Amino acid sequence: MQQPFIAILIILLTIAAYLAMVKVYQRFTYPILIPVLTTTVIVILGLLAFHISYSDYMVGGKWINALLGPAVVALAYPLYNQRHIIMKYSFPIIGGVFAGLFTGMISGLLFAEVFGIKRDLILSILPKSITTPVAIQIAAGLGGVPSMTVVFVMIAGFSGVILGPRIMKWVRIRSHLGKGIAFGSASHALGTSKAFEYGELTVSMSSVSMTLCALLGSVFGPVVVWIFQV
Amino acid sequence: MKIFVITIQIGILYLFHMLGVWISESLHLFIPGSVVGMILLFIALSTGKFKSKWVSSGSTFMLAYLPLFFIPVTAGIIKYPEFFTVKGLLLIASTAVSTFLAVAATGWSSERLVSKKKASVNALD
Repeated sequence: MQQPFIAILIILLTIAAYLAMVKVYQRFTYPILIPVLTTTVIVILGLLAFHISYSDYMVGGKWINALLGPAVVALAYPLYNQRHIIMKYSFPIIGGVFAGLFTGMISGLLFAEVFGIKRDLILSILPKSITTPVAIQIAAGLGGVPSMTVVFVMIAGFSGVILGPRIMKWVRIRSHLGKGIAFGSASHALGTSKAFEYGELTVSMSSVSMTLCALLGSVFGPVVVWIFQV
Repeated sequence: MKIFVITIQIGILYLFHMLGVWISESLHLFIPGSVVGMILLFIALSTGKFKSKWVSSGSTFMLAYLPLFFIPVTAGIIKYPEFFTVKGLLLIASTAVSTFLAVAATGWSSERLVSKKKASVNALD
């Protein structure tokens, strides 16, 4: 009797917080106010304030989470609408994804090495630019800690979404094509959700790059580990 | 009426998702079910037999709320208080800097690869 009531309450409160944060973001478009980040902060503060555990939150949260799968499937629609332009630019897409994947993995390894991070943590950071479900499997396959990988994947997502546009301005990435490929391959699905602010072409470039990055990452993750003798 | 169409179409998307999960699990693929579902829907649309208007409203709706569906996962960071220590912050900073490098490298090289290929103007606006 009580369980469904709590679940519905959690769902409604999360949606209400999200919609309010969308309004805030429309009013003040600072990158740090991106709704997915502000709403996450509100949820965490709410859980801490009322001493609710994460597993209790997930009684309702799992229903929202269940929509993530069909939403990823829905990315096929903009992808289909933009199919001709994707085929036309397949070379820059593949090249960009490769560049981003290797830059991300190798720089991650170097930083971890400099800071003297333990091996299992290094292996957990490696797939950070890849969408969560695939990153978990890559980390597990390499001998990392999958639950830690989830956190690194989120940090990669948030940092790309919040400061990515500024980096793009610095290195003069001006095209929707370049921005989309960069968002998708460095910041996976979170980057793709940010790409919606730039239009359908950017979204499609981002979702195709995200998918390609996941495929190539699962193949080349072990190769990078082998080359660098982690 | 609109809400009815959207609901049915989300149902269709969900079926593709379930099919994707089933394929991914039974073939032990390293690609997650949702991505397999996306590829399946894309193939279905490409055949021309499966009309894009059958999923257009549902997809547009789902994608408009995409960030909302991440929140339960992202709130899971609460389980790792060790990220809020000095070493944790160092790891967060390294991950962020590494991501910035990836953004720069990706965007830069893809734009270079386009301009070599006598690009049409519209994609580079």
